[in-house]
Amino acid sequence: MAMLKESQIMKIHYVTAIGALIVVAVHIMMRIIMPYSMSLEYGNVIANYHNIPYAILLESILVLIAIHGFNGLRVILLELRQSKAWEDGVTILTIVAMMAVVAYGTRTILVAQGLGFE
Amino acid sequence: MENAVDRGNREGLVGWLNPARYGWERFSYWLQRLTGVGLLAYFVGHIYETSSLTQGPDAWAAMLELTQTPMGHLILLLVIGMSTFHSVNGIRLIFAHGGKGLGKPGRPDYPYDAVSLNYKQKSGIWVALILAAVAMLYGASVLFGGE
Repeated sequence: MAMLKESQIMKIHYVTAIGALIVVAVHIMMRIIMPYSMSLEYGNVIANYHNIPYAILLESILVLIAIHGFNGLRVILLELRQSKAWEDGVTILTIVAMMAVVAYGTRTILVAQGLGFE
Repeated sequence: MENAVDRGNREGLVGWLNPARYGWERFSYWLQRLTGVGLLAYFVGHIYETSSLTQGPDAWAAMLELTQTPMGHLILLLVIGMSTFHSVNGIRLIFAHGGKGLGKPGRPDYPYDAVSLNYKQKSGIWVALILAAVAMLYGASVLFGGE
């Protein structure tokens, strides 16, 4: 089940962490450049999704945090117990969960992009 | 002979959560993991929450009614604190894993304090905790400030 060395996976873990830090900072800025409650109004949120660079930013947040988060979970679970079956099972489970979350989030971004906005 | 690959971790979760054996750094170790798991749970919940956008303004308003409450804001404050600690402590760990700020190896003298667990690492943990508290205070001013 070892397609990548753990050292390579940890480099990916750190790169996704730093990338996520930058894009999430921009995401939070978008919520506080106007009064917080106003930024959550349906029209404003849909307008965000219609902005292509912002939609790309949301997709990158989704991918970076999903990779970082589920790999972090994999590391925690591997620290708790070690055996070939457990390690393979945890790796497969976290990859499947990561892909499912990315697919579901991408669907939201794509559908919200196509919604009408008056 | 027991196969090294299949050897079980006999302490399991108890060993993972034991803060007594390794001092302050152990506290940082499990706080990094607990905040990581908490943030992953929030991330999944946030994706589910925002998916209500696709069902129109009414579904979005209904979801906001559920989340934009004092309890929802308190959970968000916790998320702000967790994400700030996790980020700052994570940057410290990236440097530490790269060998920065660990000091030079020395002779193990009693009481055998590891050179790597020095004041730089300890102050890094404190900085993470203080920044998390500051971020939570700012978050509280935005969420409960009546804007």
